[in-house]
Amino acid sequence: MERKMRNWMALPICVFFLALFISVPSSAQTIAGPEIRIGAALCISGHGANVGKREAIGTQAAIDVINAEGGVYGVPLKLYLEDTASHPGEAVTVVRKLTGDHKVLAIVGPHYSSEAEATFPLGNLLKIVQICVASSKPGLSAANRPYAFRNTLTEDKIGDAVVKEFKKRYNIKKVAIIADIKDAVSKSVGTGVLPAAYKANGIEVITGDSPVTFLTNDAQFMAQITKLKAMNPDGIGMGALGPDALNIITEARRQGMKQPFMSTAPIMEGNIAEIGGKAVEGTLSGTIWHMSVATPASKKFIEAYQKRQKTMYTSEYTEMPDYYPVNAYDAVFMIVEAIKKKRVTNKPGDLAADRAKIMEYLTTLRDFKGVASRGFNEVGDGIKDVIVFEIKGGQWGPVK
Amino acid sequence: MFFQQLINGLMLGSTYSLIAIGYTLVLGLLQMINLAHGDVFMVGAFLGLTFAYLGIPLYLSLILAMVGAGIMGILVERFCFRPLKKAHFLGPLVSTIAFGILLQNVGTQIWGSEPSRYPQTAEIAQFHLGPVVVSSIQIIILITSLALMAGLDMFIRRTRMGRAMRATSEGQVNASLLGVDPDRVISFTFFSSGALAGVAGVLTALVYLQITPFIGIRQGLIGIVAMVIGGLGNVRGAMIAGLLLGIIEVMNDAYFTAGYRDIIIFGIFFIFIVFKPEGLFGAFKKET
Repeated sequence: MERKMRNWMALPICVFFLALFISVPSSAQTIAGPEIRIGAALCISGHGANVGKREAIGTQAAIDVINAEGGVYGVPLKLYLEDTASHPGEAVTVVRKLTGDHKVLAIVGPHYSSEAEATFPLGNLLKIVQICVASSKPGLSAANRPYAFRNTLTEDKIGDAVVKEFKKRYNIKKVAIIADIKDAVSKSVGTGVLPAAYKANGIEVITGDSPVTFLTNDAQFMAQITKLKAMNPDGIGMGALGPDALNIITEARRQGMKQPFMSTAPIMEGNIAEIGGKAVEGTLSGTIWHMSVATPASKKFIEAYQKRQKTMYTSEYTEMPDYYPVNAYDAVFMIVEAIKKKRVTNKPGDLAADRAKIMEYLTTLRDFKGVASRGFNEVGDGIKDVIVFEIKGGQWGPVK
Repeated sequence: MFFQQLINGLMLGSTYSLIAIGYTLVLGLLQMINLAHGDVFMVGAFLGLTFAYLGIPLYLSLILAMVGAGIMGILVERFCFRPLKKAHFLGPLVSTIAFGILLQNVGTQIWGSEPSRYPQTAEIAQFHLGPVVVSSIQIIILITSLALMAGLDMFIRRTRMGRAMRATSEGQVNASLLGVDPDRVISFTFFSSGALAGVAGVLTALVYLQITPFIGIRQGLIGIVAMVIGGLGNVRGAMIAGLLLGIIEVMNDAYFTAGYRDIIIFGIFFIFIVFKPEGLFGAFKKET
């Protein structure tokens, strides 16, 4: 009897201590300082220099925002930025340096799929999280579980969303495709992403598997447009970069074509909407984030980015943020959320455990509230909302 | 669609012809190639663009760009050919390369390296001629370039200056013995060469939707290809070869894939250089 009584009393005592343990107010939580080290492996030089610099500004802007609000429990974040030179070999050195010498908790970057192919296996070996901000080559994160993450969305998801809107808006039954066969992304959009998306939505592709072709920076599109016109499609899909897309549509209007055009994220880089005039009105595209997105989080990002850009990599190519620095910015906030939720200690002795905690948190993160990020799926690729845009009144605006 | 593509090809080709004629005029006269010619063309294109932004009507900006590029042609002669008359025969060639690079970089400073666009002109009228649709811009380009080529051909054959040009190209000493001032003729030839490039520039800026300070590099090379195919120093040959190249380029894009374009054009060039260096219509030969 007495023994039973003791057992009976043990339960509330346990519950009491457990409750005490769980409900520790966050203000009472502490973290070792003087600083929390965040690494960044980005291409500050080489062929990706412009976008890499924008990503670096985005990363630093996130750290600025967090530090201005008191850091993590009073301890400021510090960025350790290293240049991958847009080169896989250099990226490997950089990841080693950030992990071994700088002893960062997690790494933002790298940018390219080719770099990530080299650094993701290394990250698993060193047991450190990397959040890639641009790579969209299929299967790369899945092949490098558990430490590899990519906060990006592949073009096929964007293509499908735009095609759905294109079909609904303009009652499209048959389309023709024109594709840049020199630029890798445009080529894959024109020959892979768009044909698949059209077929999935029951639209006939007149050009089949061989789109009308051109080369990046071609200065005239007379022959291509005459050819497209003769096919008489309901609309035209483009695998093109911004400046070429602008010239294609302008030439089409010159030759008297009135059909609507659509493409994916790359055409939104540059100023097609602003200088295209009447010719480009009604053109559809889609992306995960654009300057015109006016949510509070987005506004806060733009403000922080532009403030930091005044002192970091000042140039005309870094003035306007695109979605890459947003991916980097959100990546920092995800790491910080992991640090808080998983009670990372930031003590030198706990470094390996802390890095593992961040990995564990990101693995199950599905409901993150970032500027343009929701977390990661089961294979470590980004979960994001696609926003379909149209050119209206000389500007890209989200389709309501 | 074939006839429509033919019109496209003629339009593109007519600008190539104008450039090729500029090369061939200088080559016929001095047996030297002016490698800054493509960049003189570029200056013409940007002058046309600048005038268009100033609101100057097209015909006037054509004339102004012609004069501007013509003066640029005279400058090329003054700086790259005249001081090097007694130098090694490669001297002028190298100095024109340098002059071209200079123009590209000055152009980049003035107009920037990003593509510049021709201002949105008023509504473009479309004319239906049977199965073919021709726009007002296409008509302007075709008429201007064909008229200029015909005019130049008449000028060389019928006028006193044209005769002097022909005489000088056959031999400077003999020509001067017959009362021709070779320096004046050479200056005039460079002016015409530049002026034609200037017109080609403005027309190209109309055909092409954007231009950069580096546009002269490819156009210049195509001009050289047209000159070789037409026969070195042969003005009529350059006209026809230019038109042919334009048609080939457009037909390739229309019926094959864009990736083959330069392979075909420069492949033809190579075949001509090796197997038929006198070109389709015979090269000009200096009488000795």
